[in-house]
Amino acid sequence: MTEVLETPDARKQPDAVTELTGGGRLRSAATGFRAFTRTDTGRRIVIGSGVLITLVVSVWALSFGGNAIGIGDALAALRAKLTFSPAADSATARLYLQVWELRVPRVLLSLVAGAALATAGVLFQGLLRNPLVSPYTLGIAPAAAFGASYAIVFIGAETGGLSSSAWVVVGALTVSIVSSVFVLALAATKRSDPSTLILLGIAVTQFFTAATSALQFTADQETLALIVQWTWGSVNGALWSQVLIVSALFFAVYPLVQRKSGSLNAIAFAGDDAAKSLGVPVTSTRLSLIGLAVVLTAVTISFTGIIGFVGLVAPHIARLLIGSNHRFLLPFSAIIGGLLLVVADSVGRTVLNPAVIPVGIVDALIGAPVFLYLILAKRRATS
Amino acid sequence: MTLRITDLHFGYGRRKILHGVDLTAHKGELLGLLGPNGSGKSTVLKNIARIHTPTSGSFRWDETVALEDLSRRELARLVAYVPQTIDVSFELDVREAIVLGRTPHFAGRPTAEDWDHVDRAIELLGLGPLVGRSVTELSGGQAQRVLIARSLAQQPSILLLDEPTSALDIKYQLQTLRLARQITRTAQVAAIIAIHDLSQAARYCDRIAFLQDGHVLAVGTPEDVLTAERIEQMYGIEVSIIHANGSVQVIPRDEPDSAVALEAATAAA
Repeated sequence: MTEVLETPDARKQPDAVTELTGGGRLRSAATGFRAFTRTDTGRRIVIGSGVLITLVVSVWALSFGGNAIGIGDALAALRAKLTFSPAADSATARLYLQVWELRVPRVLLSLVAGAALATAGVLFQGLLRNPLVSPYTLGIAPAAAFGASYAIVFIGAETGGLSSSAWVVVGALTVSIVSSVFVLALAATKRSDPSTLILLGIAVTQFFTAATSALQFTADQETLALIVQWTWGSVNGALWSQVLIVSALFFAVYPLVQRKSGSLNAIAFAGDDAAKSLGVPVTSTRLSLIGLAVVLTAVTISFTGIIGFVGLVAPHIARLLIGSNHRFLLPFSAIIGGLLLVVADSVGRTVLNPAVIPVGIVDALIGAPVFLYLILAKRRATS
Repeated sequence: MTLRITDLHFGYGRRKILHGVDLTAHKGELLGLLGPNGSGKSTVLKNIARIHTPTSGSFRWDETVALEDLSRRELARLVAYVPQTIDVSFELDVREAIVLGRTPHFAGRPTAEDWDHVDRAIELLGLGPLVGRSVTELSGGQAQRVLIARSLAQQPSILLLDEPTSALDIKYQLQTLRLARQITRTAQVAAIIAIHDLSQAARYCDRIAFLQDGHVLAVGTPEDVLTAERIEQMYGIEVSIIHANGSVQVIPRDEPDSAVALEAATAAA
C-alpha cells in the first residue's frame, strides 16, 4: 500500500507566512508554537512547565493573606513542619501554626478542587461533544445548593453528632449525587445521547433552582446570608480533613479517567456512531465516565460551595495551549484548574485585605478576561 | 473471501426497517447499495458495523468468522465504517484524527507501529500537506479523505462507506468514488458503499444491490440491474438508460417536460 492514490487538491499547500513584518512575525511565532505544542515532546514540556509554575505559585501563595509574611518565612514553616523541628520561640510557633493549619490546607484545597473541577469539565465537554458544557451541566450545582440550603434552614445547629457545617456537606453531597444518579439512570434506560443528557440537566437545574429559591424566600436574614455565602464558593476555613478527602478521591478517580483517554478521544472527535465502529462501547463509557465526573464535582463542591468558572474555562485554556488530545488535555487541564484557583484565592485574600473575597467570585473575575484574551489572540494568530 | 449477510432483520421498537436482507460482498469488490430515501441503505451498513444491533440475522466473513460472536473491539479490527461527514466541535490535527482509526488496535496510547500505519494512510491519500492543520479548517472533500484515511489506518478487511458523497460537490464526489474503488483494489477489502447517484454507482461499483422498504429487490452488475422499468418501479420516475464511455448512464426523462408544463401552466394563469 505504498502507491499514492489520485488526490488532486492535496497538492495545495497551506498558506506559508511569506512576509515577515511585525504581524507576520507574530503569526509565524504563533504557528511555530502551535506546531511545537502539538508534538508529544512539546506537550510534555508544556505540561512539565505547568507543574513547575503551579508549584512555585502555590508556595508563593502561602505568603499572602491578612497577615502577610515573607516567602522565606513560609518556606521555613514548611520545612520545620515536614522535619518535625520545634519553633525557636512562641511568635515563630504561631507563625508555623498559621502557615501549616490555615494557609497550606487552603492552598492545597484550591489546587485539588481546581484540578477535580477541571477534570470533570474535560470529561463533560468531551463526552457530550460540546465545548460549552461544564461540570454543572447535569444540574449538580443547583442540586448541591438545595441540599446545603436545606441543611442550613432545617438542621442548623449541631445535630446527631455532626456539626452544622458537616450537615451542610452531607446535604449538598446527598442531593447532588441522588439527582445525578436519577439523571444517569433515566439516560441509561431511555437515551444517553448528548442532547438528551443536556436537556435532562436543564430540567434538574430548573427544579432545584426553584426549590432553593423557595427555601430562601422563607428563610430569615441570617439564614439567607449563610445560604448565599455557600453558593459563592470558597476555600475559607479549609481543613486538612477536607484536603485529604478531596485529594484521596481525586487521585483514586484520575487514573481511571486517564486510562480511558483513547475512548474519550473516539467519542469526542468521531461521534457516537463512528466511535462504536472504532470498537468503543459508547453508552457504558459515557455513563461511567460521567458518573466519575459527577462524584468528583459533587464531593468537591460539597466542601467548597459552588466554584463556577474553573470547570468550564480550564479545559479551554489547556486546549488552546496543547490541543484537544485527551491523553494530554486531561492532566494539563487539571494543572491549569489547580493553578487558576490558587491564583484566584491569593488575589481574593489580598486585594481587599483584611476582607477575603470568595474564590468562586475571583475565579470568574480573573478567568473570564484571560479566557477572552486567549480566544482573541488565537483568532488573530490564525486569521 | 466474502462477507455473507443472511436474513438480516432490524427495527426501532415496533417499526421494522429491514425485512430479511441477504447480501454478499467479495474481497477486492466495491458493492453499491442503492435505493430511495428510507429504503434501509445506511441501516444495513450500521448493522454490519454493530452501530445498530440487529433483531436477527447472521454475518459471516470468509464463511468461518461469525461477526456477531466477535467483541466490539475485535469487530472494529475487521470492519471500518466511514460516515458521511466529519462532525467535530474541537480543534483536532489531521494526524490525530487519523490515529483514531487505531483505537481498536492499541491499549492506552498509540505505539510506534500505530503511527506507522497512520503515516502510510497519509501517504497513500496524499494528505501530507494537510498534516499540520485542524480538521475543522478542511474543505468537505479534504475532510472526506481524512475519514477514508482513518478507516485505512484501521486495517479493515471490510470497508463500509455511508453516503460519503452526499455533502460534496461534483468534483469531490467523483474523487471520493475513484478513491473508494482504488482502495478496494489496492487494500483488497470487501467494500460496500451506500450511494444515491445511479450513474455514478454504475460507473464506479462492480456490483449493485437495490434496496426498497428494507428488502433487497435486485443484485447484479450495473448493466443487469439498472433498467428503466426497475428505476420507475422504485423511484416513480421515467428514465432513459444509455451506454456511454463504457458505463451505464441514467437520464431522468420527466424533469424537462415538467418544467415545460409548469411554464405553460404559469403562462395560462
